[in-house]
Amino acid sequence: MRGFFVLLSLVRTFIIMSMAERSNQNFKHRNRSRRADPLQVAADYGIDVSMLADNLKRSVAERIRRHQLALNTVEKLRKAKRP
Amino acid sequence: MSNDFVNLLERLVKNGVEFVIVGGFAGVVHGCTYVTQDIDICCDFSPANLLLLQKAISDLNPVHRMTPNRKKLKLSDETCEQFKNLYLDTENGQLDCLSFIDGLGDYSRVKQESELVEVEDMKIHVLRLDALIKSKRALNRPRDKAAILQLESINRLRMKASGEQDED
Repeated sequence: MRGFFVLLSLVRTFIIMSMAERSNQNFKHRNRSRRADPLQVAADYGIDVSMLADNLKRSVAERIRRHQLALNTVEKLRKAKRP
Repeated sequence: MSNDFVNLLERLVKNGVEFVIVGGFAGVVHGCTYVTQDIDICCDFSPANLLLLQKAISDLNPVHRMTPNRKKLKLSDETCEQFKNLYLDTENGQLDCLSFIDGLGDYSRVKQESELVEVEDMKIHVLRLDALIKSKRALNRPRDKAAILQLESINRLRMKASGEQDED
């Protein structure tokens, strides 16, 4: 009977230690996520970061001009698609 | 009809309208590569300023985009006070005028968080990058996720370019 209680105590200690370890891993993971490099996070999401870097080399006027061209092209395609 | 956002902005500047570029187009100014279909501005919603805005775009057939019959924009001293936002469509593109920005506040607060940017001989107030990220986060809309990631990447690229250390 005494052996059973010792075993029970050991099992309980093991469970508590496992939970503490898991909690510690979760904390480390959260901490890592918070410190993640935004460029890596964006790239993982599917954003072409090199295009952003190229765009930053352009003047504001050039960025707006390129946006205007893109928007008007999208509009033209949208109109062409209408029945 | 094709969009001409630069012309739309020129009109506002030339007519002395008090405004700050916010939203998706502010992101484009900062270097985002997405395409946005309208210009969002935060502006002083005093009758005097709204009447200046109306004058600036009067010959572009402005209409209230969100009304069922696309009502024509017809502001007067009295009617100005009933609006908190104006969602307009013009011959040069869509123009959304907002009196308040989530996460930041009203026009005076938004102006404090803006920077002057020169575009084709015009000087325009544009919401600063950090404030733009703050406002997008405050909206907490799923569709803004990609925009926030682009803005945060631009922030990091700028920091790298200027040799600054990361804040964290």
